[in-house]
Amino acid sequence: MGIQGDRVRFNVGGRRFETSATTLANAGRDSFFGALFDRNWSLQTDVSSDIFIDRNPDCFAVLLDLLRTGEFCIPANVSEKSLYREALFYGVLDHVRDAKWGQLDGNRLQYSRSVSGQAPGDGTAIRASPNGGCCVVHGSMVHVYNWMLEEHPPINLDFQRVNDAGWIDSENIVITACERLGTGDGGMGLFNASTGELRYKFSVSHEDQEKSYTAGALTFSSDYRVFSSCKGRRNEYGIGVWDQITGKQIDFFYETPGWPLGDADRLQWLSGYNCLLVATLFPRKDNCYISLLDCREKDPVWYWSDVGMPTNFDEKRVRDVIAMEGKNSVCVVNEYEDLGFMDLRRVAGSVRWSSRSRMTKGKMPDEPCYPKLALHDSQLFSSMSDSISVFSGPDCVPTSRLRRSYGGSICDFSIGGDRLFALHSEENVFDIWETLPPSII
Amino acid sequence: MSNPQKKRNFQIEAFKHKVVVDPKYADKTWKILEHAIHEIYNHNASGLSFEELYRNAYNMVLHKFGEKLYSGLVSTMTAHLKEISKSIEDSQGGLFLEELNRKWNDHNKALQMIRDILMYMDRTFIPSTRKTPVHELGLILWRDNVIYSPKIRSRLLDTLLELVLQERTGEVINRGLMRNIIKMLMDLGSSVYQEEFEQPFLDVSAEFYKGESQKFIESCDCGEYLKKAEKRLNEEIDRVTHYLDAKSEVKITNVVEKEMIANHMLALVHMENSGLVNMLLDDKYEDLGRMYSLFRRVPNGLSTVRDVMTSHIRDIGKQLVSDPEKLKDPVEFVQRLLDEKDKYDGIIGSAFGNDKTFQNALNSSFEYFINLNPRSPEFISLFVDDKLRKGLKGVSEEDVEVILDKVMMLFRYLQEKDVFEKYYKQHLAKRLLSGKTVSDDAERSLIVKLKTECGYQFTSKLEGMFTDMKTSQDTMQGFYSSHPELSEGPTLTVQVLTTGSWPTQSAVTCNLPAEMSSLCEKFRSYYLGTHSGRRLSWQTNMGTADVKATFGKGQKHELNVSTYQMCVLMLFNTCDRLSYKEIEQASEIPAVDLKRCLQSLALVKGKNVLRKEPMSKDVGEDDVFFVNDKFASKFYKVKIGTVVAQKESEPEKQETRQRVEEDRKPQIEAAIVRIMKSRRVLDHNNIIAEVTKQLQSRFLANPTEIKKRIESLIERDFLERDSVDRKLYRYLA
Repeated sequence: MGIQGDRVRFNVGGRRFETSATTLANAGRDSFFGALFDRNWSLQTDVSSDIFIDRNPDCFAVLLDLLRTGEFCIPANVSEKSLYREALFYGVLDHVRDAKWGQLDGNRLQYSRSVSGQAPGDGTAIRASPNGGCCVVHGSMVHVYNWMLEEHPPINLDFQRVNDAGWIDSENIVITACERLGTGDGGMGLFNASTGELRYKFSVSHEDQEKSYTAGALTFSSDYRVFSSCKGRRNEYGIGVWDQITGKQIDFFYETPGWPLGDADRLQWLSGYNCLLVATLFPRKDNCYISLLDCREKDPVWYWSDVGMPTNFDEKRVRDVIAMEGKNSVCVVNEYEDLGFMDLRRVAGSVRWSSRSRMTKGKMPDEPCYPKLALHDSQLFSSMSDSISVFSGPDCVPTSRLRRSYGGSICDFSIGGDRLFALHSEENVFDIWETLPPSII
Repeated sequence: MSNPQKKRNFQIEAFKHKVVVDPKYADKTWKILEHAIHEIYNHNASGLSFEELYRNAYNMVLHKFGEKLYSGLVSTMTAHLKEISKSIEDSQGGLFLEELNRKWNDHNKALQMIRDILMYMDRTFIPSTRKTPVHELGLILWRDNVIYSPKIRSRLLDTLLELVLQERTGEVINRGLMRNIIKMLMDLGSSVYQEEFEQPFLDVSAEFYKGESQKFIESCDCGEYLKKAEKRLNEEIDRVTHYLDAKSEVKITNVVEKEMIANHMLALVHMENSGLVNMLLDDKYEDLGRMYSLFRRVPNGLSTVRDVMTSHIRDIGKQLVSDPEKLKDPVEFVQRLLDEKDKYDGIIGSAFGNDKTFQNALNSSFEYFINLNPRSPEFISLFVDDKLRKGLKGVSEEDVEVILDKVMMLFRYLQEKDVFEKYYKQHLAKRLLSGKTVSDDAERSLIVKLKTECGYQFTSKLEGMFTDMKTSQDTMQGFYSSHPELSEGPTLTVQVLTTGSWPTQSAVTCNLPAEMSSLCEKFRSYYLGTHSGRRLSWQTNMGTADVKATFGKGQKHELNVSTYQMCVLMLFNTCDRLSYKEIEQASEIPAVDLKRCLQSLALVKGKNVLRKEPMSKDVGEDDVFFVNDKFASKFYKVKIGTVVAQKESEPEKQETRQRVEEDRKPQIEAAIVRIMKSRRVLDHNNIIAEVTKQLQSRFLANPTEIKKRIESLIERDFLERDSVDRKLYRYLA
């Protein structure tokens, strides 16, 4: 057979290849090649004949090159789809993904491609999955894409309007939706990402009675809890807490009068503080309320609100919030994309607005979208009309700007699996931005 | 991807597909794979082509026959496992485990190969249909068909438990095989391990150790028993590391601890002639250490040991402080306390791992019994006095510190710290005035320690005493330099003591000899000249004097005597014979002191510079005294001691006690006023509690006394009773 010392000869679909066992070992044990060379399979040591594999030789060549160099280059005569198929056959699909793009760096992002869909109406939210896929919320539907950007069956929760979606892991999506009065429809459910099948719904009980509710913003903690803002019919306003694995309700923080929690716009779990950031913002409420809840004490350990601020405050109205644990601060953004910071270690402090020279000064687009914030490692990202700004360093100085003219304003964006997804509001299209793998030379 | 709609109309691949597929394709392909699985189980895999099998399995999944492939796998593997199960059941006696192990290894290897072939199914079909992955499936089928087979299940457990028992009784077993089998159970899931082995193992072990501990407790002494228990414990831990799940360690050690220690705790501690008390008495560090490390593993273990130790120390301590025989010598008494403390510090340090709770128990025991004896403060001060007078001579600075630290430790146990202060002041005064103190550094070091312990207030007067000594030296220099004519004649050294800093003395001044009193007058006028507005009174009861004397045959001696003795001796310059009454009249020395002074002058053998008639052992009112012309001594300088009772006599003790009580009154009142000033209104019980708390660093305030003080403050309009609730007091500003 085709092994002589380290050398290996293959006949793939009629074409001969020669490579080394060392190269093939890069594929790992859990691959076709790993099994092939396992001594259980004691390959016949017949040097004269090659190892025959009945597969496409062009694709094999590309994948063999991937194993040799770690680089993934698609030649003109091979389709990307067929390469993914062959990679799945050989069990080296993960290698392909790892070779396609590198670790995300906000200052080295490149536009990769755009994907457009057929859904009617505007997309409202996009969420990146941990392994480079994403899901897009359109009204009552959630469209799911794997990292190869193949679309999976879409997801819905009783066809109710979806408010938020989130990936528990690369196989499971949670979506939150409005309730339909009197039917128990809506609420929150966990779905299989590849089949779109509903695994279970999260229920809310008050005084041992199950209630229907509208679920809003969503977040997860590293210890397998799900948090969501909830609005029930009567007093059931607050933040629900569930177990990710069992789907059972663990806890419920009822909101107190004058401090809304139940229709919060943003939740963020801060593992270092073991606290939950809850922000309810304009225009959902007339004022902006941000607090940090201690889940054990059920007490706000930090809070800020613009209630009672001067009337010319409009200009500084907070539109999005993100906590930066590493800097012990909360970052806010107003509708002109001014960033402001608050110290998390001081309760009831004031916002320190940064007076950076605004890069987008001038005309607003026809259909404005309010700014959104995201964090990756220590880089801060903020979307404003049709571009996304990247801020780096301890003082969050602007360092990069991502922009594509097609599709109109960016209504939402998300970072995950080392990819950045930007969803446009005017056309039904989203962009994917990636950092190239480290260069070889 | 955005495909233009019209292209879809021409897609006919789906149709073609169906035509190509042989209706028997799936069956044929499965037959090939099934045959391969058979061959793998029959160790006949060398003829198989991995590539072909992988491709076939891939094609089945691709052509939607995943379900068929999966169910085929389940039934084929089940059939093989049933066969395997039979062959294990048929294995003879001792070969049973070996056969099980061999088949398990075979199965694992086959499973790996099957998984290799079905890798594509494992990757795609199984996750999307949420079926059990191949490897896990192989384990579950093994468990259900082999381990849970009725003829294997109980036989396996019995064999394993029998092997453990053999090992416990000292036989050597095949640990490697044992480890493999246990590992198999663990691989099948922690619940399988627990149900099929761990729980029964724990039950059997509990039974075993219950019996064994009963046997040991009847035949061994405590130390020996503990040694055996420790050995068993280590054996079990060793067993876990060799062939059990690491998580079992806690469980099995718990069993041993409960059966061998917790259940026999009291019997062990109180074991006759070898229990804890005997170990403590005999300083058996090793046994004590073992007891500590074993008992700490069980609930209430250490508290049992601690309680027995505490009551033992209290008993011993009570004897120490109440045995009149041992109270004779205060220095010995304190030394015994220190020795006892050292002994237990040693035990706690080397056997009980410096356990804080044991240290606390030791401290509270000492506090308990030291305060049983009201004379402890006095004795501790006397001990210090002894050390500072002579005990520290030639001792290095570090050792001095060690001794002082030990004294401080005893001091901390005292509840009546103010009583100690009283005595300490008296003793310090004596040391300073007689110039007897060995080391100024040691004195000051101790005062610093007292200061850190009790605060500035406690030591300010003691420090004042040192200042007085220093100032007096300067004053004397000044006095003599302003009176150069005084270099002839007797020399006077005066120590000016600030009233209040020094222990109060009855200020009865005796008649000084004329030479001295004129000198004293000169000093008085000098001192009052330089310090206006002061009053000097002479404390003749505290001074000393060096007197040159010439006796009958011309022997010359320098006598070192007290001021009183000097006054008496000087009387004999003018006459040879004086009666007691005459001496008393001439000198005006208080009777008690005079008697003591005459005793030491006339009755101490070898140092009797006076003679007395009649020659009796006591000084009587009618006695007559002469100069002893026959006085002889080898030394030129002779020190005439004063007969002083080192320990306080009963009336003196009463007096000190009374003084202490008197001094406490203002302190209690101050505390009450402080508390009431801040609290305004407080009920009786709370006042008592707070006052006691505030004062406990100095003494233990007596509730009745506090009540008296409150009454007195009410009388003086500092406080009033609430008109409604008589238990409430109000502060009147």
